Amino acid sequence: MSLLTDELRAQVGREVVYTAPEELGAAAIRYFAQAIGAVNPAYTGSDPVAPPTLICETNSYAGLPRDADGYAGHGWHLDIPGTRLIRGGNAYEFHQPVRATDVLTVQWRLAAITERVTGGGVPMVVVTSVATYVNQHGDLLAVNTETLIHLGSAS
Amino acid sequence: MIAVGLELPVRERTIELPDMIAYAGATWDWHRLHYDHEYLADRGLSRPVVDGQLFGALLAEQVLDWAGPGARLTALSFRFAGLVFAGETVRLTGTVTAVDGDTVTLDLRVEVTPDGRPAVAPAAATILLPPAATTTHAPAPAPA
Repeated sequence: MSLLTDELRAQVGREVVYTAPEELGAAAIRYFAQAIGAVNPAYTGSDPVAPPTLICETNSYAGLPRDADGYAGHGWHLDIPGTRLIRGGNAYEFHQPVRATDVLTVQWRLAAITERVTGGGVPMVVVTSVATYVNQHGDLLAVNTETLIHLGSAS
Repeated sequence: MIAVGLELPVRERTIELPDMIAYAGATWDWHRLHYDHEYLADRGLSRPVVDGQLFGALLAEQVLDWAGPGARLTALSFRFAGLVFAGETVRLTGTVTAVDGDTVTLDLRVEVTPDGRPAVAPAAATILLPPAATTTHAPAPAPA
């Protein structure tokens, strides 16, 4: 039986937009740099730039409450019975440095949902999303193409 | 001189639970997979799982530290290959695969040591070096 239903297919093209309630902040940049063990002086001081992956990895802009799993970020909350959700990977494009004074607006778009089978014959649904990050000036900061996998069970 | 086949300095990082707590706070991601032992046990896991997105950050810093001041990372892609658990050590490696003017493309990899199982593979980065860096650049030493 296929995991991919017409209802799921109809989700393709969905979009949601989040705008952070405040500037990214120098403290957030310094905290992230310390958390990842980065020692680049560009990440501290009076006018720091963010480590490039920060905005793609943070949930701070979304302003969402945590869910039952503890996750507080964007999600499509697709219902695919008999599967568990795992991360597939990411492809980041970095278009310009991100500064502490930037206010993020992030548009998420559900770009594709496809059904595949692993090498071991396990069915899975692959969900590809694209997140586009801009600041309050409309400058394009980054694009993140993210893959999540809803992994089924072996027959 | 940067040329195809040049290898980045290898970087190793042990990721302990306090590091994971710091990363969770820094990214506003409090998923129970990274700390809740009961939640983990219900899923057949014995130790907290490292947030895989951390590896994207580590790879970015490895590349930028190697490239030196003035370089700009323009693209980074990575596929998760397996779980990494709290307390484990990961080894980051990279090789130059293309040089086109000031643009350098690299293949990257993250594996768990000492068993060598892959955590991230494949991975790739594109970096824009400051003008003339491709002919004069000496790889920066990796931080201790």
